[in-house]
Amino acid sequence: MNRRQFIEMGASSIAAASAGGFLLGCAGQALEKPTTAAVVPSADAPRVSYFSRFGVDEGMIRDGLADALSRGADHADLFFQHRVSNGLQLEDGEVNRAYTRVELGVGVRVVRGDQTGYAYTEELTREAIKRAAQTAAAVADGPARPGPTALAVGAALPQRYTLDVPWDGIKPAQKLPILDGVNAAIFKMDGRIKKVSVFFADEAGAILIADSQGRLVEDFQPMTLLYVSCVAEQGGRKETNGYNVAGRRGFDFYSPETIGRVVREAVARTTVLFDAVPAPAGEMPVVLAAGSSGILLHEAIGHGMEADFNRKGTSIYADKIGKPIAQPFVNIVDDAAQPHARGAINVDDEGNPAGTTTLVDKGVLATYMHDSISAKHYGLKPTGNGRRQSYQHPPMPRMRATYMLPGPHEHDEIVASVKRGIYCQSFSNGQVQIGAGDFTFYVKNGFLIEDGKLTRPIKDVNIIGNGPRVLERIDMVGKDLVIDEGGWTCGKDVQSVPVSQGIPTVRVSSITVGGQGGTQGNKASAKG
Amino acid sequence: MTNEAMLQIARNAVSLAKQKGAAEVAAVARVKRDVDVTWRDGKLEKITEATSRGLEVRLYVDGRYSTCSTSDLRPEGLASFLDNAIGLTRTLAKDPHRSLPDPALYAKATPEGLSMADPKIESITALDLRRTAQSMEEAARSVKGSEAILSVTTNGYHSWNETTQVHSNGLEASFAGTEFSISADVSIKDDDGRRPEEGEYAWVRLYADLPDAAAVGRRATERALARRGAKKAPSSVMPVLIDNRAAGRFLSYLLRPLTGAALQQKRSFFEGLVGKPFGSDKLDFADDPLLPKGLGTRPFDGEGLAARRMPLFEKGVLKNHYIDTYYGKKLSMAPTTGGSTNIAWKLGPKTQAALALDVKEGLLITSFLGGNSNDATGDFSLGVQGFVIRGGKIGEPIAEMNVSGRHVDVWKRLIAVGNDPFAYGASRTPTLVFDGMQVAGT
Repeated sequence: MNRRQFIEMGASSIAAASAGGFLLGCAGQALEKPTTAAVVPSADAPRVSYFSRFGVDEGMIRDGLADALSRGADHADLFFQHRVSNGLQLEDGEVNRAYTRVELGVGVRVVRGDQTGYAYTEELTREAIKRAAQTAAAVADGPARPGPTALAVGAALPQRYTLDVPWDGIKPAQKLPILDGVNAAIFKMDGRIKKVSVFFADEAGAILIADSQGRLVEDFQPMTLLYVSCVAEQGGRKETNGYNVAGRRGFDFYSPETIGRVVREAVARTTVLFDAVPAPAGEMPVVLAAGSSGILLHEAIGHGMEADFNRKGTSIYADKIGKPIAQPFVNIVDDAAQPHARGAINVDDEGNPAGTTTLVDKGVLATYMHDSISAKHYGLKPTGNGRRQSYQHPPMPRMRATYMLPGPHEHDEIVASVKRGIYCQSFSNGQVQIGAGDFTFYVKNGFLIEDGKLTRPIKDVNIIGNGPRVLERIDMVGKDLVIDEGGWTCGKDVQSVPVSQGIPTVRVSSITVGGQGGTQGNKASAKG
Repeated sequence: MTNEAMLQIARNAVSLAKQKGAAEVAAVARVKRDVDVTWRDGKLEKITEATSRGLEVRLYVDGRYSTCSTSDLRPEGLASFLDNAIGLTRTLAKDPHRSLPDPALYAKATPEGLSMADPKIESITALDLRRTAQSMEEAARSVKGSEAILSVTTNGYHSWNETTQVHSNGLEASFAGTEFSISADVSIKDDDGRRPEEGEYAWVRLYADLPDAAAVGRRATERALARRGAKKAPSSVMPVLIDNRAAGRFLSYLLRPLTGAALQQKRSFFEGLVGKPFGSDKLDFADDPLLPKGLGTRPFDGEGLAARRMPLFEKGVLKNHYIDTYYGKKLSMAPTTGGSTNIAWKLGPKTQAALALDVKEGLLITSFLGGNSNDATGDFSLGVQGFVIRGGKIGEPIAEMNVSGRHVDVWKRLIAVGNDPFAYGASRTPTLVFDGMQVAGT
């Protein structure tokens, strides 16, 4: 484990879940609110729901902000979080383990220019918040500034993931049939399946942000994930694969249609591998299927467009705003507003409004993704990309749902245009170096393309390219945009946040494929 | 929060859960204090300082099992938390393989001389870390060629953590550990508009083992400057050296399928290979949780089992798996330990430079970029950067390339390991030399 910058994205995994990587929560009945029995209220009467949830009131918050500003600074905020999550796992035919997790705490941030002081505590007492605030204040060294004299809840937030029934109203016994049903259906569908693992998670989260401008922002953030993985055997050969769906959705998401799709995809993506041949090695045209291929955008341009790297001059995109970097039919956005998407947010973790940020407009690099520090640095409005893993971490520019808008080409036309290359369908993870611009993504399912047709399946191959060069080489974009429904998690600087991605069918004229099938030996070129 | 207070919290959780109907209980209380200071281009960038605490409870109720964790340690919160968790556990399917470990396997006393925790941490402040980070930047900018530098980020970090574990069948144990780390990352301007970044870091248990901060800063710049003009080379099968700092990542794909879970769930290419030759005779290492000052050192594992050295490969033959209590029962195998700690290699006699001379023509991998490995089949494909080896010498830098293969083939081609175990990671990997690997580039 080295502590250097690390930028990676992957599909949520059970391994991560059992290690506490995925947030898991508490049990059965209605969500327990943290008890406030031991809290002595301030003189202010509690006015909104945060008092009962966090056991704090306006007076305590104002005092905390005043302590945070005790050595001067431009800005201070408190980020209260209560997150209750549940996980159920089926293995060897039984739902025989559950994971639960309760997180409760507050992070105090003090900002001076682009310098950050940060501290947090899990003890929501006046004294503990004061200590944390004084610790964070150490980033500044000037005379004290007064905190806000009053706090006010601003305009109503957009509601992008309202649930009919919140997860704390769903009993475990209601969830068990989902896992049992998926397991039975998979075994019934294909006799070659030998092992099935099903992981189900749900999360009910609440955040409260209070800042030195006197803003109060509250949001409730649900999340759910269903992850299925199978192992199949045929003729002494073993293959494994799976499928997962996720989003800020409720129990009603798990309709027979959703379950059916998860089962079909998990089986199909596993059993097709028995026919897989080794992928080739070397440069060739690559067609990316609509949907989770959006991982290319996340790695090739998304991270490099996070404004913290650009403010520091370390991103390969640091001097490219306003410059053409792709064909005019390439448009890329980072969007907080996709209803119920895993990467949707009603407000960012600094309390700033979150909408749609245009990264690439008709092939021209348009806007970086900002948090409040970088926005101030550039003299711009924040874009609502300030996100954090939890109260234990300060926010920084992060993606939400990153996708490319539809283009002028047809899917079949794109595939038919390639004489020899590969077609990529599903992925497990990717990574990028934001300065050099080199990035990779790992393909779990794909096909060879020979003479314009999909032929043999391929698997387990890494694709490696350079961000700006690959963007230039996107020479066909389909009309068939799909926002992927998978459980993607983005890691940066040891913080993980949930994200979404999407893309229409796209052709990259040439990129390095890291296969085992020997070298191509020739420069296969795209037609048309 | 003191050790005594955390012990009390863990004991309370165990007795409360038993009162509420759990047959057996394990409780693990953890406290961690972190100080993290980042310095960039002449000023403080970020400083984080906090103590966090948490409780994990594993419940065995009516033949069923669940685990839960909370950061809300107030006594009044714990009772309802456990009520809920026990209620949830009762809804699950029974699992005859779930139980606390056999108490005979528990740690009796912490072995002497592990050197895991350094009391000096008490006297090192955020200001000290800031000064160290500042001196690393100055050193990084003192290197010849530093006019190409775009940005230098340096970091000083330390943490103190304590684990206290109480089991209802007779375990009460705890241990503390410290970690100190310093790092420098340097971005430079390349002629083609790329901004390559490289860095140097150190990560140790005891403060006195940190190397000279200025040397770390200088080395970061040297590494970054060496990346200038990196190009993609042609695809071919060639000998590959993996630098000791990078090799831990490659090794992790060998260790991952060695767990009982992977084996029992048919997600391991090691199925049925215990006692059989797997790699070349150079593949020879043990898992050693008792290594003094080791970053993976621990007196007992996550289940409370007493730590012991365990051979994994001897002359290429697979000797053991990582088996915990649960999967041990499912597999009818005796538990060893649930996961890897420090890896103690049987080292070779030569330096990396001497190994490069032997190889003559090939590739030196200095870092991996993304990629993955399939635990069930052993297929891997990994992005790489590094240097061409030409005439036995380190040549020009390469980027945007990839290596791929199958573990069952590749480890048979391990022809040498260096004498240079990497000190700043638990894997302690030496330079690894493979006599042929598929490399993809142009």
